[in-house]
Amino acid sequence: MKKNNDKVDNFIDMSFRSDTIQDPLKMDNSIASNYRGYITLDPAKDFILNDKIGKILENSCPTHAITYQNNDDSKINFDNGKCILCGNCQIKSPELIKITNKFDLAKKRRDDLIETFSMSAPFGKTCDELGKELKNKIDKIFGRSLTIREIDAGSCNGCEIEINALNNPIYDIERYGITFVASPRHADVLLVTGPASKNMERALKIAYDSTPNPKLVIAVGACACSGGIFGNTYATTGGIDGIVPVNVYIPGCPPRPQALLYGILMAINKI
Amino acid sequence: MNYKEITKKYYSELEKFDSNLKIFENNNELHLTLSDPNQLHGLCEFLKKSFDLRLLTIICCDEQKLKAGFKIRHVFGSDVDDFFLFVISSINSSHSYFPSIYDVFPSSILYEREINDMFGLIAKENPNIKPLILHDFPNDIFPLQKDFKLNDVVKRNSKQFEFTPITGEGVCEIPVGPIHAGIIEPGHFRFSVVGETIINLEIRLGYAHKGIEKLAESMPLDDVIFLSERISGDESVANSIAFCNAIEKIAQLTIPQKAKQIRLLFAELERIYNHFGTLSGILADIGFQYGASRLNILKEQLMQLNEKLSGSRILFGVNQIGGVKTNITDKTLVGIHSVLDDAFQNFEKILDHLKSNSSVMDRLRNTGIIEKQMAKDLGLVGISSRCIGIETDARHTHPYGYYPSVNLKQKTPRETMEHQVELQKRVGDVLSRVMSRVDDLRQSKDIICSIIALENDGLSVSLDEELTPYSSGLGYAESHRGETLHWVMIGEHDSIFRYKIRTASFSNWPIIEHAVLNNIVADFPVINKSFDFSYSGNDL
Ligand code: SF4
Repeated sequence: MKKNNDKVDNFIDMSFRSDTIQDPLKMDNSIASNYRGYITLDPAKDFILNDKIGKILENSCPTHAITYQNNDDSKINFDNGKCILCGNCQIKSPELIKITNKFDLAKKRRDDLIETFSMSAPFGKTCDELGKELKNKIDKIFGRSLTIREIDAGSCNGCEIEINALNNPIYDIERYGITFVASPRHADVLLVTGPASKNMERALKIAYDSTPNPKLVIAVGACACSGGIFGNTYATTGGIDGIVPVNVYIPGCPPRPQALLYGILMAINKI
Repeated sequence: MNYKEITKKYYSELEKFDSNLKIFENNNELHLTLSDPNQLHGLCEFLKKSFDLRLLTIICCDEQKLKAGFKIRHVFGSDVDDFFLFVISSINSSHSYFPSIYDVFPSSILYEREINDMFGLIAKENPNIKPLILHDFPNDIFPLQKDFKLNDVVKRNSKQFEFTPITGEGVCEIPVGPIHAGIIEPGHFRFSVVGETIINLEIRLGYAHKGIEKLAESMPLDDVIFLSERISGDESVANSIAFCNAIEKIAQLTIPQKAKQIRLLFAELERIYNHFGTLSGILADIGFQYGASRLNILKEQLMQLNEKLSGSRILFGVNQIGGVKTNITDKTLVGIHSVLDDAFQNFEKILDHLKSNSSVMDRLRNTGIIEKQMAKDLGLVGISSRCIGIETDARHTHPYGYYPSVNLKQKTPRETMEHQVELQKRVGDVLSRVMSRVDDLRQSKDIICSIIALENDGLSVSLDEELTPYSSGLGYAESHRGETLHWVMIGEHDSIFRYKIRTASFSNWPIIEHAVLNNIVADFPVINKSFDFSYSGNDL
């Protein structure tokens, strides 16, 4: 890149960009600060949840990722699995909602993607309940290298763009011993995108059955986690966990390559 | 010609057909209502003879609630005049046939199949009314009819889809998909081959059908824009611009100049990163990994630029009705220019390398040839038509947004000459499509670089009044695949009554069935990639 930096806005300076990089997971500083990675609940000190703001938040979300409960204890539930990162809710309530540029959001249980804020209990993240036993067991089975079959169960192809990027020289997923293979019969992991359209339901099941045991399934993107904006309709099934068992959820719309990498490594307990 | 003259020209011609036609003007649309649907066929023949019109789409809408039965709108457009012709016929629900026009405009077959799937109306003479989008759907349920509810549970039957049987000595069938070997979207390809040579291909799509058009009817206006971005992830800017255009046209809203400029910048950036990606894919499919990787790096750089500008690597969330959400400053503009300069320097080097590599050129040249007449009949748009010398480009024929104000540097006579010679070489093979993409890329860069200062009249204006119920408008934009059309009819209280989307992919898909004939199976991936259609944008 030409070094006329005084003229070029820092904002666009992409000095790292010409070569491959050491470790995509450690390139935090290259992620733009305005990148919409995931949304968390980060209440300002004097934030008070009342009916009004609860309702506003609930209605601001196009995919119904935010729900508000107001029995004796008012509560906001925020489902990262449904969020398509449109940013509406942050505009409505910047005191509670914060968009971060982080990517390490993959979770092993669907419930772990849901954050809750309640007025009575102090705010805190659910503790990580990952079973250590299971971890060791799976580690042993999968060893060091891993093969992935990607299945598009009706996505908008946003997620495919990012999965494809994993193979480019920048992210180069093969450095971790992970390769994409052409058939589910050669695969250890199915990487599934899309809200699982009804028309893909059968193909997905067949692919799952033809993958040899032991196998893992990773749901990629808001759509695969929950149906996303497409929800659960006559044409979609509202998330792939209704069809095949899911081991790791990687939310995002679409999740960036680092987020995918993080999720895949989490699936084999390397993180 | 300005719009008045254009309409006058068409008026006077149409009078010759029938002086009692009811004609109504709506922005740059001429709406022509037929009193009897049976006039349709004759009118189409007349249109084809008198003007060089292209069938753009057929829109069906269930207006039984408005006591208008089903309305079918055949939309025609020309490649020279900025205007759209809507031919509207009403089918009252009791008899569910409408005339097919496949023998005049062969591209109508697909639209008629789609209407059959979604509305249950049958195009009588259409020779091929297999299901198109819906799989194993009961044949008495039609999702886009108003009394079907979005969440209705439909019990699918297990009828097998029938592929056209191809028989003969030595003919083998190769079924491929819906899950493919590469990281691409789902679709099924049924090849019939003799030895290595493909003698027939039937494509079955619809696997990615998500009910987008139906879903839109249940969403608030402002949310539909998120949906339009997700019609096809890599076309998010073009599709959301087309949707916004439609709404802004209905509301007669003029958006700020600055917003137009920003939309244009993002639309061109989207084109650039996608073309890099496609070119890279083409090289990967012929096994030239070196070139593929180099281009992939360029694509990644552009995506990182996208991220810095908009917070999303694939440009989700830049548009909103009435303008844009993301600001670009003069300072960032300089940055964009310098990133592009750098990327294109690299790109030209890679290109030189490719052109001097005979093994690459050999694989691309004369592979997957399409014919001009076929391209015309099928109504191809975008790169697929430009690779054979048919200039379709919504940015020129229907200038929208900031495009009319773009001033490109005049070409010198020598450059023009050279370009003409280049164009002569476009014969509709993979190489021609590669070169058309290269042209497109350079042009996009020039367009972006021609913007040197941004206006400062704000990012957006808001819709103040409720939109008139049952008013409609056609929005359009040129995505990197070609012209994308979004027709919106507003319902009560700013809801959406009908949202019809026709992406470039939908009108282009059938050409692959012709392009692969007489090629070997091993060339299919590169032929397919050279067109680069979206499955999701087709299946909706
Ligand atoms: S999660 Fe988002 S990017 Fe991925 S397929 Fe769904 S809408 Fe597209």
